[in-house]
Amino acid sequence: MDLTLGPEETAVRDAIRGVLAERLPLASVRAVAGAEPGIDEALWREAGGLGWFGLGLPEAVGGAGYGAAEEMLLFIELGRALTPGPWLATVLAAHALAATPGLVEAHRAVLAGTLRVALVDDPADALADGGSLTGVARGVPDAGAAGGYLVLGGGTIRYLPAATHGLALERGPSIDPTRRLGDVRFDGVAGAPLAGDAAALRTLATLLAAGEAVGVAERALEDSVEYAKVRQQFGRPIGSFQAVKHRCADMAVRAEVARSLTTFAAVALAEGETATPRLVAAAKALATDAALANAADNVQNHGGMGFTWEADAHLYLKRAWLLEHVLGTRAAHLDALAVPWRAE
Amino acid sequence: MHLRFSPAEEAFRAEARAWLEANVPRAPRPAELRARAADDRAWQRRLHEAGWAGIAWPREHGGRGATLMEQLVWCEEYARAGAPDISTLFVGLNHAGPTLIACGSEEQKAAHLPRILRGEAIWCQGFSEPNAGSDLAGLQTRAVVEGDSLVVTGQKVWTSFAQVAQFKELLVRTDAGAPRHRGISWVICPMDAPGIEIRPITTLTGESDFCEVFYDRVRIPLRNVVGQLNDGWRVAMATLSFERGTAFLAEQVRLSRRVDELVGLAQTTPGPRGRRRAIDDDEIARRLARARAEVDALRAMTYRSVSLAARTGVPGAEASMIRLFFSELVQRIDLLAMDVQGAPAVEAPASHWTELYLAGLSQTIGGGTKDIQRNIIGERGLGLPR
Repeated sequence: MDLTLGPEETAVRDAIRGVLAERLPLASVRAVAGAEPGIDEALWREAGGLGWFGLGLPEAVGGAGYGAAEEMLLFIELGRALTPGPWLATVLAAHALAATPGLVEAHRAVLAGTLRVALVDDPADALADGGSLTGVARGVPDAGAAGGYLVLGGGTIRYLPAATHGLALERGPSIDPTRRLGDVRFDGVAGAPLAGDAAALRTLATLLAAGEAVGVAERALEDSVEYAKVRQQFGRPIGSFQAVKHRCADMAVRAEVARSLTTFAAVALAEGETATPRLVAAAKALATDAALANAADNVQNHGGMGFTWEADAHLYLKRAWLLEHVLGTRAAHLDALAVPWRAE
Repeated sequence: MHLRFSPAEEAFRAEARAWLEANVPRAPRPAELRARAADDRAWQRRLHEAGWAGIAWPREHGGRGATLMEQLVWCEEYARAGAPDISTLFVGLNHAGPTLIACGSEEQKAAHLPRILRGEAIWCQGFSEPNAGSDLAGLQTRAVVEGDSLVVTGQKVWTSFAQVAQFKELLVRTDAGAPRHRGISWVICPMDAPGIEIRPITTLTGESDFCEVFYDRVRIPLRNVVGQLNDGWRVAMATLSFERGTAFLAEQVRLSRRVDELVGLAQTTPGPRGRRRAIDDDEIARRLARARAEVDALRAMTYRSVSLAARTGVPGAEASMIRLFFSELVQRIDLLAMDVQGAPAVEAPASHWTELYLAGLSQTIGGGTKDIQRNIIGERGLGLPR
């Protein structure tokens, strides 16, 4: 048993962190998100070239041959950097399309970073209408930046190009200035389900969303600690006061809880442990908790500056709220854990 | 990263599991302290005879010399088998023994380590004083050198199991003129020395396991000083770092079982607001689910901490984070158990769950309060200024 990063895992992590720090520091995230199309297309192609989208795929289908643990590391880094765009859905599409012979071109484009995919999450099959899809999926993250949609139902996975007949998109903003939303309307859209296990794909997706939340929780902590060391009041750094120090200690514990559990869940998934779905649900709930609480505490620790648009503190908080509504809220995951107890 | 244990570790697990299944005592533990201490010693003797005593102690000192991974496996199997909490033997096995191994003389090691391992000697801890709790370096119990003895006068407090202990790891001030941390010595104090008076303290649970201990010109041989005279702070810090190391490996298994039992209670107890069962109440169900998730997180944190320690050799700041998270998690679970019980929670004699709740209030006080833990995390973990 070893839950520390090995040399190769450290190298993967450092390489991703290095690219994001150089190519997309927070000041650039603001600039990218404020202009059309709201994402850095050159970075996407670069990420494709670096193999980020196929990190967890076998080399035989164009992947890097790693697994869920390395993919989790990627999403922690994407969360830390508040990277804009539909990364999660695109990585999922790389998995889902790999098994479908008719979608080789789309799969290749996804891996190359030239085709972005948004996720329509439909766990209760609310869109299912016989063999086709009808209804509106509200608030799909980054729908406007995507060339296709991955519709993840309760038991089915579908892929639809954005130009499919009967599909309509209404773009809208999000409170998270670094992400955009879209309402996707399905009007009797046909589409054959892909081969592949929808439940397994949802588990992977939920794990990666938890990873992104871990990154947000860690960066909020680090920003607070850095500020508490330099900001002076009453002639002392504010981090010397227990009111601030203890708040930072609680943030550190939350981040440690989130990283440890998400890491454990990722390795369990990679090794095929049977408890994986429960661990992933727990990780998503607690990592989102950590992201939300740490981001709010980070606003508080920055005082008046923390309340401004100029400071970055609100960006972490808003991303955390976006993540709360990606792939199941905390309440949904906790309630799912309790279902077997209530059925007995 | 991987979760699987090596074949050698799995073989060790199988051996531990088989032995524990065959040997863990099934009789209920006696409630009365002296009978419980006798019980603890008998169990420790059995562990020793089978080669399981001092699992983390080096072989040259009579221990098992287990690797960190084997310690983890042992603690999990130990808790899973429902083996007895080490209770009155805790200070000897987890504090005094390791301290003697690290800082004791050959003579001290030979005199004490085998007796601790065989369950022949119970140790207690004499650190805290009425005016030195979180601020341990403020301790005032003084010891004066007279010939080849130290003469100790003063008072210690919160000494668990002083009534049944043969020895105490005692911190005394041997140089009143030196800076606070420099004038302290760590001494092996025989509890039958003349001039020691033990007064049990009744806690809010109604039990009297811990005590005040008064010293009136108690003579202790100078050769009982561990490390150098006036170097006791360094020796004591060695002790405290053991306390924050691998202490929670068994606890996460026990806590996991407690959540399972609490789910069972919620399935068989009438619920609030007219619900048939407590588990049918949405708030209780969700809090139980959160407890399950948090116990999973505790396990992940202990695994990560052991992984880091196995790689670097020393426990880091994450050990303090585990301590803090664990203590507050226990209290959240205990509080939930009070709510699940409903009105019977306040009936006397207290139920098992109410007893746990009351006893659990000490979790965020003993061994460093939660406030001190937050200082440690902030200062040593995050580098915030004092």
